[in-house]
Amino acid sequence: MKFIVSSSVLLKELNSIAGVLNASNTLPILENFLFSITKKELVVSASDLESTMSTTITLDKSDKDGKIAIPAKLLLDTLKTFPEQPLTFVVNGDNFGIELVTDNGKYKLAGQNGDEFPKSPDLESPAKVDLGADVLSNAVNKTLFATGNDDLRPVMSGIFFEIGKDNLTFVATDAHKLVRYRRSDAKGAKAASFILPKKPATILKGLLSGKDGDVKVEYTDTNAHFSYNNVTLVSRLVDGKYPNYDAVIPKENPNKVTIDRNSMLASIKRVSIFSNKTTHQVRLKFAGNEMHVSAEDLDFSNEANERLSCNHDGEDIEIGFNSRFIIEMLTNIESENVILEMSASNRAGILTPSEGNDGDEELLMLVMPVMLNN
Amino acid sequence: MDENLTIISTINMKSILHLDLDSFFVSCERMLDSSLNNRPVLIGGTSGRGVVASCSYEARAFGIHSAMPMRMAKQLCPHAVIIRGNSGTYSKYSDIVTEIIKTSSPAFEKTSIDEFYIDTTGMDRFYGTYMWAKELRQRIIKESGLPISFGLSTGKTTAKIGTNEAKPNSHMQVLRGEEKGFLAPLAIRKMPMVGEKTNHKLSLMGIQKIKTVQDMPCELMERVMGKGGVSIWKKAQGVDNSPIIPYHERKSISVERTFEKDTTDVVKLKSIVTAMAENLAYQLRNGDKLTACVTVKIRYSDFTTESKQMHIPFTSVDHTLIETVNQLFDKLYSRRMLIRLVGVRYSKLVGGGYQINLFEDSEELVSLYQAMDAVRNRYGQDAIKRAVSMDSRAIGRANPFNGQPPVIPAHRRA
Repeated sequence: MKFIVSSSVLLKELNSIAGVLNASNTLPILENFLFSITKKELVVSASDLESTMSTTITLDKSDKDGKIAIPAKLLLDTLKTFPEQPLTFVVNGDNFGIELVTDNGKYKLAGQNGDEFPKSPDLESPAKVDLGADVLSNAVNKTLFATGNDDLRPVMSGIFFEIGKDNLTFVATDAHKLVRYRRSDAKGAKAASFILPKKPATILKGLLSGKDGDVKVEYTDTNAHFSYNNVTLVSRLVDGKYPNYDAVIPKENPNKVTIDRNSMLASIKRVSIFSNKTTHQVRLKFAGNEMHVSAEDLDFSNEANERLSCNHDGEDIEIGFNSRFIIEMLTNIESENVILEMSASNRAGILTPSEGNDGDEELLMLVMPVMLNN
Repeated sequence: MDENLTIISTINMKSILHLDLDSFFVSCERMLDSSLNNRPVLIGGTSGRGVVASCSYEARAFGIHSAMPMRMAKQLCPHAVIIRGNSGTYSKYSDIVTEIIKTSSPAFEKTSIDEFYIDTTGMDRFYGTYMWAKELRQRIIKESGLPISFGLSTGKTTAKIGTNEAKPNSHMQVLRGEEKGFLAPLAIRKMPMVGEKTNHKLSLMGIQKIKTVQDMPCELMERVMGKGGVSIWKKAQGVDNSPIIPYHERKSISVERTFEKDTTDVVKLKSIVTAMAENLAYQLRNGDKLTACVTVKIRYSDFTTESKQMHIPFTSVDHTLIETVNQLFDKLYSRRMLIRLVGVRYSKLVGGGYQINLFEDSEELVSLYQAMDAVRNRYGQDAIKRAVSMDSRAIGRANPFNGQPPVIPAHRRA
């Protein structure tokens, strides 16, 4: 087998799928890219068994069809150093040796039998939906930080995609915070839902950020298939029932605070430096049209207090939060002002952007407080 | 004098004062009831298993000492007055003394309910540290009515040993340069750090007096006893640079209970560990703390002691802690043997409130804990508790997070 490909084109395509590669694998062959050629079409794949990502390159020249697994790290490291030039790959079908020929050099790599590379699953009669690349990347961006890391609760380690007939909802939660991002400008033919694991979600985010066009999403009960231009991502889905997130979002929230997002973020970031290094706990006290932020670390006698003006509607309330959650949430909201809704010091606080929530997208963030000892 | 010399001279002038209230619990009882004066008094557990926590000097004449089983003490001195004791009263008197020391000293450390170290470095600039210490002692005796002794020296160890030598109701000073000579003739057992086991080990080596340790090479002590050996050797030389620690941050909280009669009654045992877990959880919440490590300890009737611990995500709520404690107890108690003691400890403490879980903690549960804590804060720790732990007698005690050392009777000290 022999084919010729441009070094910069190949590097660009390999980089777009290299995110799937794991540093350590149970199967050694997963440290390779799979190159398979059918009629001048080169498909390069990378896999970690959970997700498989492929990209297609049209070749100018190839002699016959075939498959070969090429060591990923070696290939990437080499390609990075090449100036733009055509590369000739010559594959020995008997011992899977690869010879890479450039303008002024020759490199030999030991490959592996391409047939041993795990096959990505075929989706049987999948449901389909088309999503804008910006919609999907936005949704992942807004929700990814709220996913959990608890191995005992695998369903919470992914993003929940809920495809409805009128809208599309993306949810992530780790049981302490929750993000719900809803789009009314995208919908599916029939209601369905799946949980996409964190890693393929991160890869999608990288692939789609700042891109236009549509992403074709196909899904079954066990797998989801995303294709965008020449790149495809097939991922196994998290098996299990997603917690009933709507039931835990409090509906009645008599306390409503409107506050400048940047000043609140800056204030909490500063005060949290003085909080306990393990719990990162801050206290928010709303009285009149003022928010009082405080934190203390008894071990070092550190203490910080700040005051901020806000628009507060409701009774005075004092509530404690893990400051890292609040900081993450405020960072992931873009509007100038945010609305914080609360009902009691031991119930969830709800953070929403004050502008831009009435159009096609609706963003809601929820954070559970810590028990305060008064 | 240039700057370097000033620093060196300050180090050399370091002076530490150790104060110890004489037979503190007995003195407190005598404040309440003067008929106890000049009579042998024993304070401690009155049940069959009880031990002497404190005894008057009149009782010591009969050979009674703290940590002795109460039954044996009764045999030695049948006419002694025996009192169960009340830690609340003792804390109150201890606070009075603490207040006096706080207002008059530059930096102090309260190491237990009746013991204080004061850093008196630099106090000699006025009219001599010894004079100052004597006046402080007189003031404490006058204002609190409690007898107190002190030792003044250049380090904690020598000061403490000085106090013990001066007792009762007296004082002494060990001057700079005289520490070694002062320590030399004393029994090695008198050094802090040297408990029963170390003493036994040292006596097997033929060491009885501190002088022997002074003359030994440091390396030998290190080889026999490791780091602790080096520390003992240094202290024997009269060198002790450990500082005064003004505030004690609690690193763990624990309770344990010795039964009057050894038991295998699993229902009773579990109700007691549950009560302990519940009470300690309240202590955590009350002190704004979370724990990440739970330990359960049991001691069998043959005194073999076993414990098991488990790391958990930071928490301070009853349901998680009670469940963990019960799980640990089940794993630990597999031998069906008579149990003498059970205990529960929470360690790896950090400051903060419990992070409420969106799906697992119902709002009612969180409100319930807060309401129960409010009831306890107002009407006492035993005002409300789980039905399963109703039968266990009071396990509660004072707030452990006030920066003060725990109220541990003398016989339980390490």
